Parts: sequence; structure tokens; C-alpha cells
Amino acid sequence: MTRNGAGHITDPSTRRRFLATAGAAGASALLAGCSAEQTNGDETPTDPGDGTETEPGATAGSDGPDTLVVGTYDSFVDAPSTSPGAWIKETFESEFDATLVWQTPPNDVNYYIERAEAGVETDADVYVGLNADDLVRIDDAVSEPLFDDPGELTRRDRVRDGLEFDPEGRAVPYDTGYISLVYDSTETEAPETFEGLLEEDHRGELIAQNPGQSTTGRAFLLHTIHRYGDDYLDFWADLQENDVRVLGSWNDAYSAWMGGEAPMVVSYSTDQVFASQEGADLDEHQIRFLDGEGYANPEGMARFTDANAPDLAQEFLAFMLRADVQGEIAQRNVQFPATDDAELPEEYSQYAHEPPTAVTFGYDELAEGLEGWISGWERQFAGN
Amino acid sequence: MTQRAFAGIERYAIGLGAAATGLVLVAVFYYPVATVFREAFFPEGLLTGSVFVSILTDPFYMGELGRLLSGEPPGEVLRRIASPDRQLGILGFTAYQAALSTVASVALGVPAAWILARFEFRGRETLRSLTILPFVLPSIMVAVGFVATFGRNGTLNAILGTVGVGPVELMFTLEAIVIAHAFYNAPLVARVVTAAWEAVDARAIETARSLGASPHRAFLDVVAPQLYPAVLMGATLTFVFTFASFPIVLALGGFQLATVEVFIYRLIRDLNYAEAAGLAILELVISLSLTYAYLRYEAANAVRRGASAPGRRKQLFPRTWTPTALLERFAVAGYALLAVAVFVLPLASMIWASLTGPAGFTLDHYRFLLERQATGAAFQVQPWPAVRNSLVFAVATLGVAVPMGLVVAVATTRRYRGRKVVDALAMAPFAVSGIIVGLGLLRGLVFGVEIGGWRITVAGAVAIVAAHAVSAYPFVTRNVAPGLEGLDPALTESARALGASRARALVDVELPLVWPGVVAGAAFAVAISIGEFNSTIVLATGTDSYTMPVAVERYLGRRLGPATAMGVVLLAVTSASFIVVERLGGYVRH
Repeated sequence: MTRNGAGHITDPSTRRRFLATAGAAGASALLAGCSAEQTNGDETPTDPGDGTETEPGATAGSDGPDTLVVGTYDSFVDAPSTSPGAWIKETFESEFDATLVWQTPPNDVNYYIERAEAGVETDADVYVGLNADDLVRIDDAVSEPLFDDPGELTRRDRVRDGLEFDPEGRAVPYDTGYISLVYDSTETEAPETFEGLLEEDHRGELIAQNPGQSTTGRAFLLHTIHRYGDDYLDFWADLQENDVRVLGSWNDAYSAWMGGEAPMVVSYSTDQVFASQEGADLDEHQIRFLDGEGYANPEGMARFTDANAPDLAQEFLAFMLRADVQGEIAQRNVQFPATDDAELPEEYSQYAHEPPTAVTFGYDELAEGLEGWISGWERQFAGN
Repeated sequence: MTQRAFAGIERYAIGLGAAATGLVLVAVFYYPVATVFREAFFPEGLLTGSVFVSILTDPFYMGELGRLLSGEPPGEVLRRIASPDRQLGILGFTAYQAALSTVASVALGVPAAWILARFEFRGRETLRSLTILPFVLPSIMVAVGFVATFGRNGTLNAILGTVGVGPVELMFTLEAIVIAHAFYNAPLVARVVTAAWEAVDARAIETARSLGASPHRAFLDVVAPQLYPAVLMGATLTFVFTFASFPIVLALGGFQLATVEVFIYRLIRDLNYAEAAGLAILELVISLSLTYAYLRYEAANAVRRGASAPGRRKQLFPRTWTPTALLERFAVAGYALLAVAVFVLPLASMIWASLTGPAGFTLDHYRFLLERQATGAAFQVQPWPAVRNSLVFAVATLGVAVPMGLVVAVATTRRYRGRKVVDALAMAPFAVSGIIVGLGLLRGLVFGVEIGGWRITVAGAVAIVAAHAVSAYPFVTRNVAPGLEGLDPALTESARALGASRARALVDVELPLVWPGVVAGAAFAVAISIGEFNSTIVLATGTDSYTMPVAVERYLGRRLGPATAMGVVLLAVTSASFIVVERLGGYVRH
């Protein structure tokens, strides 16, 4: 189906989607956007649309030494509520005498993988928004390393324990979310444990998301695997028996939950930050950490191996770890900072809840198990 | 001299048009899609059928057929098919839900065509123009409207509650998916059937009546045979679209009802291209086989017609109420109620959602659009450029897709062996997975092709219009081809004998006779362009070429308000466009 089609797959908080807005090269006139460039020889290749751009923010072309191109997912720069993109750009530019160009390619980091595999030079210096499973996927698929080790970052040792997810140190965590249940306490009292979800009282009360499509859905599945090990499919069989709803994206699930289709939804433990801003009744936005655990989803940034401005990229990574910047990212991205000394206002912790215990799978475990876990789950859940 | 040059161009116009059409198709469809499809044949760089073998023998995808193909004893497989725990497989289930969706769309669409074609009432023309509106709606908007209408706390249950019935649990069931698919596709069926109904020659009915046929008999013998091809065409298109459905299935049904497109998406996202391409090729083969079957039927059942004299429409409120008239109006009223529930309530709910917040009525969401327009950064999506681009692309698409569609229609209504195969292949843009097309465009156009040491890349406005035209031209073809096929060849032949070029004969003789089909195709082209998402998002470079559906998508967040407000802008702009296209189309009728 080529009309509305499959592109409508969004997770604003997870920002995983296949096709999103390209903020890449600018093309204004009707005839713009077509280009030819020589692929051999020593000239520096230019980017499609180069020379036709109208706004500096809209183009990836003409990367001089003082231009830093940062790829990211779109809601990092363009969410309807808040997003850190504009603040980061402004602050970084004012301090470093450089231009920061945001690039939000159509299929997030896969765009750069595709580029690398097609033998087209990567036109970005840094990517912001890597998950551990992205990294596993990239390493599995790409022949040449896409990212390199950024080297010494003065403040990297401030990254909190357990958030570093790349054994090779390429991806630097800059924030983390905790996946938890959000529930309407005027409708139900969420169970304390995973087992509790199987009780008759909670039949049909939980909405989750497709692990193949949504980061929250994937995290919730991984959390059940963390909890039950190889028996996770038995737990899911019981959960399905108890009428769990697994919808597509975080958006599908959350809007169905808001519409009152079920009282519990898999979401983020920062839900009350938004709810309080909107003056919503917090009784309808309660957080539950099953078994006292939340699944941590640290987000990382990394420098491309063939970055045009490697030094500036490294400065940018260090900048992102600064205490004041960490505080701003956390608030504007509505997540938790990655470092232990981020400057956050007192009241932030009032609405942003951290789990008593954070659990997550590391790179090696994901590399070993992820593909099998997901397809095993899919085959059981959708078998008909 | 110039006159001779013109005559020369005119002589070869059709051929040149065909060449240009072929070129566009190769550049923005066949080549890009091929770059992804080849992964299924060369998973490790060597030609192999192993990908297909593993899919075809996998009961998870193929159900009991997979068991049979993997060599299980036929007796055992038969026993399983007879037993209640038979497995449909993902492909089987996808086809099953598409079949149900098709039945529902036809059941909802044909009565609408009857009313639009046979009754006269105020606003009929406008209503007719607006029937394709659902076509352009982003799925998330439809999901929002459906939850608000058919959900646990929805309008339907509120109404049922007042009459002491219910509540009904409709969400997250197969029924919800089928109704939503009907929401998208019944208007399509209604549209093509209305056009066919309006073209029925009233004189033939009169002849039948004068020969003693009852109105019932005259309908069955004269009218119905002229409608079947249109109904079947609507059904075929509905099946093809719903067979590749993805976002609606997961938003309103859930993963237990996952279709094959869901798996294609996941595999692509996880960079498992071989299996994804394999599934997409199977999807394509199934859709094209069905299309081919329809085209054979269409050719065999072409209704020969000259100029038609459309019958007079009945007044919706007759002067005298006979029992038949009463019964008919009763049926109309019953259908209107159903249409309100399926089409109007979800749309109204969407609009309502854009006007409400946690504290009740609010204009905040529209204020968000104004603020984003006024203060948005260059790298953020703003409402006005989205509206402007959507309109510019729609007009440009119209200009490209209509000639392309006509050329293909002419090429496939000539007599030669295998033309139905060509015709079916020309429909391929409908039948290839949108995710595959998106990835192909990225690889084939955005990253470009290396030719002789040069890398040619195409993105931005031109590429978007070309991609939209490729998605839209089959609609033009399908709306025009049956009419062309039905034309008396003597008409063209005499024009040619009198010295007219092929193109001149087309423009002066054939097109005026099939003009309603051309206008209908044009309206679809506009609808396709405005609603298109997958290609637009890949080819939109920079803040200069995103469209309204892209903006809706961008404004999705924790609150749906801003996205629904943008959705209402999309609705308003699109409604106006459809009305303009059809009114203008009516005026310029030859």
C-alpha cells in the first residue's frame, strides 16, 4: 500500500520509526535536489542538494571545519512538547564558534548504515540516539566500523554505573529512560509483580507495544526475559491468556490507554512530568515498577569513523556530558541524565520516578540473544 | 515549418509519452525496488532460491500449505486442515482479513454508489467529491477517530447505552480492522461504481422496459452487467491495499492479528533484508495474480458503448409516495445511518479531539500550529510550508500522472498477446510493500546510482512528484481503460482514416467519451499525492519539501492534540482540493 502506508509508525518517546523526516540536504526550487558528483579522484564530494540550500539549518552541505553535523531522531529536535535540539544548538554554537546542523534522516541510524553499505560517504559527524540493540544490529550488519572510539572524554567517568552499554566504548550514554507501567489508579490498582499481571483481576487491563517496532515494547519484552530467562514464552502465553493487548507503536498504545481502552500501559517512568505540566489528575498517571524494577534504556551518542570534523565531534561529546548540559537534556528530553552530577532542579525528582532497581541487558547478552528472543516471541504471539 | 514539427511531434506523441512513462517508472520504481528485491535472490552474493524455500516451507508464514510443501504427508496435512487447530499462517491470515475487508468495503460502497448515482438531492455533487476524503487520512488519525467512536467509552457505546443495549467491545478485534479498512476503501468502491452507474445508458433500460421487463428484471439484465466490472475493480484494489495493510492492523487490532507487512517492516528495521524481500515478493505475486485475474475478466466483459444518455435521477423526497418509493427511501435512510456511524462519527471525533484538552474545550492545539509557524526553527516542520508543498505536489502530480495513466491505458487496450500481463505489471506500484519502496528510493535515488565514475542522486521536489505520479497513475489507468476498451473501435478508425494522428484521435474522439473516468482518475491522483507518506519522507530533503501528512506525523506526541489539529488542516485543505478538481473537471469536459 503506497498511500498512507506503513510509514505511520511513531514512537515519540522512543523515536523509533522507519521513515521519518529527512532534515538533510536542502532543495528549494522545483528542479533542485538532483546532483551528480565524481566518485573517484580526490575532490571532496559534496552532498545532494548542496549549493541550493536556503537555510543553514536545513542542509548538510558545505561542512567546513567549523560545521558539526549531528544526526538524530526527529523528536530530539522537533517534539510538539519540548525537545532539547534547539537549546543544544544555540548553546553549543555560542560557546564553540561553530555551526551545529541537525540532521533527522528518514530511518534514523539505519540511514547511515545504508549509506555506509552503499559506499556513499557518511555526511554526519556524530549520531545522537543509539540504543544498545542498535549497536548490536550495526556491528552485525556493517562490514567497516561505523563509529570509532572518541578517545579520552574528561567527564566520561561521571556516567552512572550500569549505563555504559558499549564494551568498545564507542557509544557514550547521554541520558536514560526507565520503562515501567503507567496506570490509572481510579480504574485499577496495578500489581506489584509480574506474576500479578496474570491475575483474573487484571484480565484485559494491560496495553503493551510491538517489540519489533517500538523501543518501549522491546524493553518490556526484554524485562520479562530478564525476569524469567528461557521461560519467558510461558509467561507470555499466560499473559496472552489474560488478554494483554500488544499494539503497534508507543503512540497507538498510549492513545488507546488515554481513550480508556485499558487502565495500564507500558510507558516511561517520567510520565508524570508531562501529566503535571498539563494539569492532568496524577491519580490517573501512577507509575508501577514491577518487582521493584524498571528496565533502563540508556541512549548513547557516537562519532562516525569518517567524521569530517572529528575534533569538533569530540568536543561536542564532552559538551553533552557537562553537568549543566546534562540537566537541560534531561529536562527537555524528559529522561534521566546519564551522569551522576547533572544539575537538576529539586522538583524534577518529584514527578520523574527512578526505579529502586534498574535492570538492562548489556551488549554481549543482546548480541547473543536478541534476534532469537524477538522472533521466538513473534512466532508464539502471532501464530495463527 | 513549425507546423510540420508539431505534426511530427503529434504523430509520435503516444510513443514519446510511453517512453517517458517507462523512464519515470524505471527511475523511481522498478530500479529502486529491484535494489531491495535482489536481496532475496542473492542473500550471500550468490543466486539462490533458499530464501523462498525457507519461507514457503515455514508453517508460521504459510500455514498448512507450508507443511505440505515441507514434505509432510498430504493425509496428515488434510487431517489438520479439517481439524479446528489448523494453521492459516501469516500470509493466509493476511489474505483472510483482506478478503473480509473487501467484502465489507463492497457492502458499504455499493449502496453509496446507488444513492449517489440514482438520487438527486442538495449537496450531492459535493458529497460525491468528498467520498475520497478517507483516502488521504493518516492512519493515526483514523485510529484516534475509531477509538473515540467504537471504543469502550466511545460514542457508539454511549448511544447504545441510552437505548439499553451494549456495551460492545469492538476494539482490538478483527472486526475493528475490517471496519477501518472499509472506512478507507468503501469510498473507493463507491467512487468507481458511481462512475459506472452514471454511464449506464438509460435508453437501454427503456428498451428493456418497453419490451415488458419489470424494473427488477431490467436492472438485473441491463444495469447490473455494466456495474460488475466496476464493483470487481473496487474489490480488487481493496484487496490489494488491505493485503499490504500495516499501521491500522497494529493500532486497532494488535499483534495477535499481525499481517505479513508487519514482519516485512520488522525484518527491514533489523536489517534482515533477504527474508523481508522474500516476503514482499510473495506479497507482490499474490496481489498481482489477483489483479491479473481481474484484468482478464475486465477484458472479457468489456461493455461496448457509444455515447451514453444517463438516466434521470430520482428526487430524494418524491412528490408521490408509492410503496416502492417508501421502501427505497427507507433503505436510503438505513444506509445513511450506517454511513454516519462508520464515516462521519470517526471524522467528527477527530475534529473534536483537536478541540479538546484535559480541561475541556480549547484552541491550544491550533495555537500550537500558529506558534510553530511563527517561531519554529529551520530544522523544525512548520504548518504552512507543509500545506503549500502538499498543494504544489498535488498539482504537479496531476500534470504528470494523468498523461502517464492515459498512455498506459492506451498501450494496454491495444490488441497484442500478453497485454494483460503488461497491464498487471503496470499496476505493480499498488502492490509492492510501501516499506520496500521507501528503502529502494533511499538506495536508488537519495544515495544515487554510479554511472561512469559519477554518482547521480535525485531527491527533493522533482523526485517526490515523480514518486507520487508513479503511485497515482494506475488509478488514472484503471478509471480510463475500461471505458477505452469499451469504445467502438470504428470511432478511432474513422478518425485515423480521415488523417488524425493517434494522439489527435485520443484527444478529440476517445477522451471526451471517457471524460468522467479521466476526472475520477485525476481526483484520485490528487488524493494519492496529498496522502502519500513513505516516499515523501524519504525524498523530502530539508525543510522545503515535507507535506501535510509528514507534519501530522511530526506533531504526534504524548498528547495527540497538535497532530489532530494538523490533521484537521489536512482534512480542510484536501476537501477543498477535491471539490475544485471535480468542478473544474466538469467544466473542461470536451
